[in-house]
Amino acid sequence: MSPSPTPGSPAGRPAAPRGHRARSFDYPQSGELDDATLDPALATTPGHGSVGVFQAPRPASRRAATAESAPVSPSTRDGADIDSPFLDLFGGAYARSASANRTNGPTRALPQQAGPAGPAPPARRPAPPAVPAQPVPASAASAGRRVDDAGTVVGPGAPPSFRVPSPPPAPTPVPASDRRPDAGPPAKAPDGTGARAAGIPARTAEPAARAATPPRQRSVDRRDRPVKPTRVRPPKIKFGDRDPAVELAITEIAGHLTFTPNTVTAWYWLPEVRWAFRPDAEREALLSAISEQYAGLAGFRLHLRRTTRPFPADEWARTIDANTAAPLPDVPGTTGWADHLVAAQRHLLSVNHAEGQTYLGVTFARRSLGDSLTERVLRTFGRGVAEGERRKLGRTVEQFDEVLGAFGMRGRRVTAQELEWLLYRSVALCMAPPGALSPITDGRWERGDLLALTEQVERYRTPYGSTVKLVNRMTGEERHVAVLAVGRMEPLEIPERHEPWLHFHERLPWPMELSTRVDILGSGDSFRNLEHRLRMIRSQQLDYAEHGIDAPPELERLAKRALVIGDEMTTGLPVDSARAHGWHRIAVGGRTREECLERARRLIQLYSRELRISLQHPKNQDWLAREFIPGEPIANTGYVRRMPVPLLAAALPQAASTVGDRRGDLIGRTAGTCRRPVFLDLHFPMEVRERSGLAVFVAEPGGGKSTLLGALGYLAARRGVQVTLLDPSGPLARLCAMPELRPYSRVLNLTGSEHGTLAPYSLIPTPLRSEFVAGAAGDREFEIAVSNARAERRMLVQDICMMLVPPQVAREASTATLFRHAVRQVPAEETSTLDDVVSCLGQLDDDAGRELANLLLDTAEMPLAMLFFGRPPDGLLGPDAALTVITMAGLRLPDLKIEREYWSAEESLALPMLHTAHRLAVRRCYGGSMSSRKLVGLDEAHFMEGWRSGRSFLVRLARDSRKWNLAALVASQNPRDILGLDVQNLVSTVFVGRIAEDEEIASEALRLLRVPVDDGYEATLATLSTADATSANRLGFREFVMRDVDGRVQKVRVDVSYVDGLLDHLDTTPAAVAAAAGVLPTVLPDMEA
Amino acid sequence: MRLRTDDDIYRARLVYLGPPGYTLPVHLPYAQYGLFILLVPLYMFIHWLFTLQVEFFPAWEIALAIVTTSFVFRYVDPDRPARMVIRTALTDWRRTREPAAEQRDPRLVGSGIRIREELA
Repeated sequence: MSPSPTPGSPAGRPAAPRGHRARSFDYPQSGELDDATLDPALATTPGHGSVGVFQAPRPASRRAATAESAPVSPSTRDGADIDSPFLDLFGGAYARSASANRTNGPTRALPQQAGPAGPAPPARRPAPPAVPAQPVPASAASAGRRVDDAGTVVGPGAPPSFRVPSPPPAPTPVPASDRRPDAGPPAKAPDGTGARAAGIPARTAEPAARAATPPRQRSVDRRDRPVKPTRVRPPKIKFGDRDPAVELAITEIAGHLTFTPNTVTAWYWLPEVRWAFRPDAEREALLSAISEQYAGLAGFRLHLRRTTRPFPADEWARTIDANTAAPLPDVPGTTGWADHLVAAQRHLLSVNHAEGQTYLGVTFARRSLGDSLTERVLRTFGRGVAEGERRKLGRTVEQFDEVLGAFGMRGRRVTAQELEWLLYRSVALCMAPPGALSPITDGRWERGDLLALTEQVERYRTPYGSTVKLVNRMTGEERHVAVLAVGRMEPLEIPERHEPWLHFHERLPWPMELSTRVDILGSGDSFRNLEHRLRMIRSQQLDYAEHGIDAPPELERLAKRALVIGDEMTTGLPVDSARAHGWHRIAVGGRTREECLERARRLIQLYSRELRISLQHPKNQDWLAREFIPGEPIANTGYVRRMPVPLLAAALPQAASTVGDRRGDLIGRTAGTCRRPVFLDLHFPMEVRERSGLAVFVAEPGGGKSTLLGALGYLAARRGVQVTLLDPSGPLARLCAMPELRPYSRVLNLTGSEHGTLAPYSLIPTPLRSEFVAGAAGDREFEIAVSNARAERRMLVQDICMMLVPPQVAREASTATLFRHAVRQVPAEETSTLDDVVSCLGQLDDDAGRELANLLLDTAEMPLAMLFFGRPPDGLLGPDAALTVITMAGLRLPDLKIEREYWSAEESLALPMLHTAHRLAVRRCYGGSMSSRKLVGLDEAHFMEGWRSGRSFLVRLARDSRKWNLAALVASQNPRDILGLDVQNLVSTVFVGRIAEDEEIASEALRLLRVPVDDGYEATLATLSTADATSANRLGFREFVMRDVDGRVQKVRVDVSYVDGLLDHLDTTPAAVAAAAGVLPTVLPDMEA
Repeated sequence: MRLRTDDDIYRARLVYLGPPGYTLPVHLPYAQYGLFILLVPLYMFIHWLFTLQVEFFPAWEIALAIVTTSFVFRYVDPDRPARMVIRTALTDWRRTREPAAEQRDPRLVGSGIRIREELA
């Protein structure tokens, strides 16, 4: 034996250097973790996430195969790779070519590799290699939206040049010219459970056959053909005498129960729970509820499994496509809607988001000998477990539904399909999961298909090896898996300082699998267990005393602790006394052994540093990997952890950090405890949740508000939403220059606009009778709405007038009175103008009134103030353009911290202009139909604070948003503006960016997010989008804390780099703006992958 | 909530100090004595296989058993029981370091599992 070469620390050693405190709160900023994504060695496998269709893993090698096979027998119709026993049956010309194939062709499969899927020989007929080059059949191309081969949904009119050629899905009819008329039965296997499984080898048999070519056969090959260097060839396979396949212990799946010869296990699905940004009280309540549930399972053995599923990008794309009634028409030469979606899916897959799935198995019944014998007998008749036994178990198992279904775990029974999936994922540990069969049919696996696929997974081990190698014979995929066991644990403070200890690994960017096997001991058992231990310690102490030696002090300490625990057990609640004794393992996978070990090392490091848990890397990895499979025996008795049930509950593998809806645009990923894609559809609150559509963005300058606003505006415009963006400083106007938007967008620069553009009376639309229901009630509502609009107009005009006169005058009490009087005189209709107010003031027989009229006329001489007077030009903002950006280029915005007296004339004009411009931006949305989707983005909304009309504007916006299906994005530098306006109850989505300068502002932002204040989350806001001080590069990403309409709060990293050129157009930094004056910068900012 | 495991109680080192009235010079865990006692007859049996006679005082066997026990217990700690160390040694005994060659384990096959959608 040799000293263990594991990278982990030896078991006896403390897990972490002493004095190292686990950093916490929720999101300790560790730049190192984010480096992981950039580190090519750690980049996750791109193939791991491909879900859309079951495709051959390496299209490149397939293309090579085409090239190879062509020169070998150019005249043979079907390439040289056909390997079918049926070929012998046909004589004549084909016989010769067939026999040539027999010697030239790569292999004939060994019988043991054929697999039990019935019609194997016909299924081994490979897909014709010429097919990938075939164009998509015209009928498919013309059939409206179509589905791409790669599993990505493609809309109409995608230029074929953008589509990556890839192997066709199974149901694509093989062109007749490629089909060999006499090559046995067609590839389509007869129906039944084995059919689909058999259909897979049909498509992928070629690489599989090569990968699994045994060495004996290869010597035959070598005579005729040079050895291909690309071949996947495991070094020296030892063929022992052992049976190459062993059946799993599970013999039957019935509903949510699994049967092994000795035990029965009931499986439950645990939904994900929210953890981040929750108040500690809530988290503690959750943990104690879960621990009570565990305690309720005392006496049973549990198997907790967490596996992953790659994010179904194609499903999302189909959803968003279905939700997009009329995407923006494509502009020739630019990326169309279909390519836009494809790019988003590619991005999703390349970033490799995996969704966790948590299963809990309760082994609750021992089977009697009679039961398993009966099963064995009945199996020979094809019947399986006897009905009587099943019925009996069905009654017993109901108790678990009650225990697990309650608040806490909220478990539900799994389905047989989910169990199959779990079994497959456990046998093919850390390997790429089988995708949907085909995107054209429903793509589902039939019953038993997934289990049949376990036949293809081969396992290799080395003596004293640190990894197990798994090879999927069918796809040629090779994975190295290292299983780590949870070793010594230091005390943890779970809701307060540490994260759940089996959720913690998810911050690393590659998917991992968990398996926890625990015995839950009830109070009696655990007390007896402890008592026994205590007696042993006491007897050892006595021994020392008898021998007259000083006992080690630890014995006394441990005995005391045992006494305290024993006391808790006897006097406390069942939750306090229940104990969980068991084994916790984490499986880490990698494409190569080195990658796998490197990942394992990083995981060990992370756990020892942040959680002070020492993960161990034991030997006998093959047994450990087998332990992940439900029903299989426990690998070994090492590293048993004995813990109170609350600590097991605090492992919380089902914690997750999802945010956003799953039907909107891809805007980035969560950046907290795990990585999930974030989608946001700003119309989701109105259309589905029936909430207001007000979204608020708060950040310091430079926090990325404008960029996010612009990106959301762009993405919405792509989906055909009518978008209006108000951007006083003007960089968003460059969005309109993007080639795909240019024909559908317009920029309105207010500083160069006509007389009357911002005339306040016409900014507030008069409601139409058609917007209300018919009948008396509708009449009444309509009247109220009309008079409300009038009142609002008066309020706005008063406020505008007050803003136009110098602040000294505005402060006098008589001014307000006079304005109110004058405004009352003028009819509050859309047709009225500010000139009417002025003339009304001038007609007053009051000096002050005339003075006010003169003051207003004075301001009217300034070119910018001309916008307020007169009537608006017709057709100023029609509903035609998909994207309208309103700017005020050249306008100098005042600093709100400085008193108004010191503002220059231009600056003081900016205030009423901003107010009215906000109204103007929204005014446009009232033009079209009520149900069509509209989006308004308002930057610099903090100028609305402190004015009555400002608040009424936001309230009205929030109220109307539902009625008019209007998503309103309001960006501000200070959350106080929104809180001060008291509209926070109407806010559905909140983004808070970096707020580092002012603690007070930060805590107000937290209030806006409805996150507990003074819990340390202020520090989280300050560390958002932190630049690496050692790097001279610009920060390539922006982070926000986002609250979605369902109240979930998460840290989100915005990443829209998948849209070509968008970031160039949105860059608001001075250098970029200067560059954009000429040509846009060609170098993409260093975006985070 | 401060949560901690009960492992330290189970980690207490229990050693045999010697019979009453006499303290042994070395204090070894009880488990080592147990393993030693198992190993001596094993080695005696192996010896018997070769020589077909049983010695009255198996000196060699005792010495070998002591050496083996100490070897085994070099790898034993509270988290790694002797059983597991011995088992690993028995399955992987052929080499002392990772060889290049791999041996194929049996495939674990689940296709024989019967599936029912509903329990009853």
